Amino acid sequence: MAYSEKVIEHYTNPRNVGSFAKGEDNVGTGVVGAPECGDVMKLQLKINPENGVIEDAKFKTFGCGSAIASSSYVTELVKGKHIEEAMTIKNTVIVKELNLPPVKIHCSVLAEDAIKAAITDWKSHQTPASAQEPRKAQES
Amino acid sequence: MIKCQACDREQQPRLLCAQCGAPLGAGLDLFAALGLPRKLTIDPARLEQTYHDLGRRIHPDRFASKSVRLRDASLRATALLTRAYRTLRDPVSRGLYWLELNGHKLADNNKSVPADLAEMVFEVQEQLADLRVARDGSGGEAERLRGAVDERRTELHRMIEGGSRELVQNFARWDAHGGANGAGRDALVMELKLVLSKIAYLRTLIRDIDRELDSAQAA
Ligand code: FES
Repeated sequence: MAYSEKVIEHYTNPRNVGSFAKGEDNVGTGVVGAPECGDVMKLQLKINPENGVIEDAKFKTFGCGSAIASSSYVTELVKGKHIEEAMTIKNTVIVKELNLPPVKIHCSVLAEDAIKAAITDWKSHQTPASAQEPRKAQES
Repeated sequence: MIKCQACDREQQPRLLCAQCGAPLGAGLDLFAALGLPRKLTIDPARLEQTYHDLGRRIHPDRFASKSVRLRDASLRATALLTRAYRTLRDPVSRGLYWLELNGHKLADNNKSVPADLAEMVFEVQEQLADLRVARDGSGGEAERLRGAVDERRTELHRMIEGGSRELVQNFARWDAHGGANGAGRDALVMELKLVLSKIAYLRTLIRDIDRELDSAQAA
């Protein structure tokens, strides 16, 4: 399978590989898998509880080059975004950016799902009063 | 009902004509191609026997001197039979085919990996990454890591065996259930998906280990 240039670029030089230290505050972790191929992806987001903005992101993905490139790309994409905006990121953006062929679309879906899973995980650790609805909190 | 092109006999779809033995095969699902009931539990000995039996009766050699249409039919029926046999022989691919046959997608609503399994995947992958680094250095560390990864591989194979047993149990439940729609059926679909996914994650991990240990040996 011929990978696109951008996939190869992310694959050979992946951004933000790794994990945040265990027990670090304000980190949401999403672990998702693609049962068709058996690949597993972990995405971690560091989210500011004051304003709900994603400040940092790290990933660990093994195996498939497109999944590695997809997760590398989304770690860059989500930084600086509000979580509600990040929740709306669609895999099609990734497919377009990385030029993924049809058989590799599920790899980008994995990255989209990982973002959602990480944010959902982070929310589940927050107290309702703090960051879940930061904008409303500011208004009142 | 379909009609045999050779003798015009009308009959239920099957691999070869009940009257004249000409190959048919059009529009069959893979269970029907083998003349098996749509059940997930399959006796391997019976499967072998049926496959070879049917294969002989529709073999292209038997139709070499017949019409083009019959020769064609024999080739197509043979290809279908082979695909049916290969798909249904392995319980994992049989389960995947079953999902497809019933209109389900393995990945739908099925992205989360059981926490203990995910942890294991990441641990083993770390070990493999370490092994890749150590391989270029002096021998002792690489040797130790290789042993550790090899142990993991044995453990993973055991887990796959466990998964296969769960699969057999799920198959039996399907067959007992009778296929009516409703909550019971949905639960069986989900259970089947989860077992198949678990096996997929384990197989991928073993594949990665095999690759690493083999290339470690070659180095
Ligand atoms: S091949 Fe499965 S995630 Fe890419």
